[in-house]
Amino acid sequence: MKNKIDISGLIVEYGERGGKNLALDGVTFSVPEGQFVSVVGSSGCGKSTLLYVLGGLCGFTGGTVLIDGKPVTGPGSDRGFVFQQYSLFPWMTARKNVMFGVAQVRRGYPRREIRAVADEYLNKVGLTNAAHRYPSRLSGGMQQRVAIARTLAMGADVLLMDEPFGAVDAKNRVLLQELLLDLWSDETKRKTVVFVTHDLDEAIFLSDRIIMLTDSPGSVYLDIAVEFPRPRYRDEMMKSIVYDDFRRTLFADFFGQKEKKIERDSFII
Amino acid sequence: MNKKIPLKQRLFRISHLLFAVFLLIQILPPAMSKIRGKTELAIADSAVHAVVFMAAVEIMLIAVSLTVKKRETLVLFSDVSAFVYIVFIAWTLATAKFNFISEQLFPPPGIVLRQVITDVTPLLGHISASLLLIAKGFSLACVTAIPLGLVFGSSARFGTAASMVSKFIGAIPPVVYIPYGIALLPTFKTVSAMVIFLASFWPIFGGTMNGIMLIDRNIVNSARTLGVRRVSMLFDITLNAALPQILLGASQALTVSFILLTSAEMIAARNGLGYYVKNYSDLGNYTRTIVGVIVIGIVISLVFFAFNRLQRFLLRWK
Repeated sequence: MKNKIDISGLIVEYGERGGKNLALDGVTFSVPEGQFVSVVGSSGCGKSTLLYVLGGLCGFTGGTVLIDGKPVTGPGSDRGFVFQQYSLFPWMTARKNVMFGVAQVRRGYPRREIRAVADEYLNKVGLTNAAHRYPSRLSGGMQQRVAIARTLAMGADVLLMDEPFGAVDAKNRVLLQELLLDLWSDETKRKTVVFVTHDLDEAIFLSDRIIMLTDSPGSVYLDIAVEFPRPRYRDEMMKSIVYDDFRRTLFADFFGQKEKKIERDSFII
Repeated sequence: MNKKIPLKQRLFRISHLLFAVFLLIQILPPAMSKIRGKTELAIADSAVHAVVFMAAVEIMLIAVSLTVKKRETLVLFSDVSAFVYIVFIAWTLATAKFNFISEQLFPPPGIVLRQVITDVTPLLGHISASLLLIAKGFSLACVTAIPLGLVFGSSARFGTAASMVSKFIGAIPPVVYIPYGIALLPTFKTVSAMVIFLASFWPIFGGTMNGIMLIDRNIVNSARTLGVRRVSMLFDITLNAALPQILLGASQALTVSFILLTSAEMIAARNGLGYYVKNYSDLGNYTRTIVGVIVIGIVISLVFFAFNRLQRFLLRWK
């Protein structure tokens, strides 16, 4: 299968003159078309920076970043972005938010058609009844559903998701994960997803593959396939011994890496 | 009628008692005027106007009490009318009944009300002259300050420079432009409009730039990932996101505009509410001076009421 995303030797520096800080140090990986990849790591490891680079929202110092073989120069409607929160326009109703997104990719289409597309996706995320509400009148989980509907309705091949359920309560997070999987598998042509999270269970449940980053500066520490058959059912999955083993090793890696870092840091001191 | 509030609560309120007190004090003998018998007659005559006006307030209060849906509105209305009654009771006692203040300087309420009725037509003329000037200066400020604020606010470099400049010029009290404006411009109306424009421009300009600088990074990034084009970014995203701050600036501008308008009218106008007050106090007609002051208060309150309604509508998403 063709690679949708190619990242090689990606270096991102931040900070103005003098104090140079490395956010990402030589990140290299490729994502084949239609794959669901989770990028995990502790906060501040640069996983969001990686996603912002893919989204064209953040420049980089070195390396190459290709989408469909073409270098990323800025944001584009070929990639949909779902932020952690507050990404909806508060002065537009849920429906207007989705319509506004759709109107950016379907320029010159009649309003009626744009509205129909918006309503279709609002229905898919189960928010038909809340279409007329402003974001301030929606719960955090509902706002994220609108954001997902907006991104999907725009029809981009690549979905970039930056801890989209990070600010949602535990129960709604589970519901949203299942909704996302349903929507993703329903599409005739599966989208390529890069999903950033610090929740390992979320990553295992959702993805085909998990990429773990080292603590700052970030680089690929572990790149592992998640070989559970789809469709996945949370309860069955969690009961299986294979899942348990997989989860244990992943957690061991996650925390093992931390301990190493702590040892290294204390050695420096 | 709404069933949630019992009839007893709707009608048994302290305001009605105060209304009764107001009616009762009318029976008190009028203060014997030390000047002429003619004045006494005037007071008796004027009491009718005060009583009719208070009765109108009372009827309105009863009508509102019976129809209002929310308890808070009921309480608010009866408290406000209680306040009006207390003011009128004190005013009547101090003037018509005990003559604490010279009637020439501070006439009883009935006389002031009668003056309002006689002066209705000229007053409406003065009101519209004043509002027209405000509308000219203020709307000119809106159509120039908002676009310029958007342009300057969108650039970090020009934005910082412009806010320094706007702080400096905005700090100058615009009243000081009036004498120079009179020398510079052909008519008094252009002077007023220019001063109101200058005074309104800076708060609106500053508010717009402030609004742009305060826009949440998330909103901008979100718009960028949607692939929003430049023009749409300005009108659909930036302008809307900055709207709360723009309106804040506009409301400051409106306050300053009224202060300036009335000051300017007192200096050089031939009509307008400020002129009405200044002219009649120069002529020693304090009844009309009080009428003017009260009418200015009412007009400004109504304008701000309308402005707040508009603001609430525009920011209904908040």
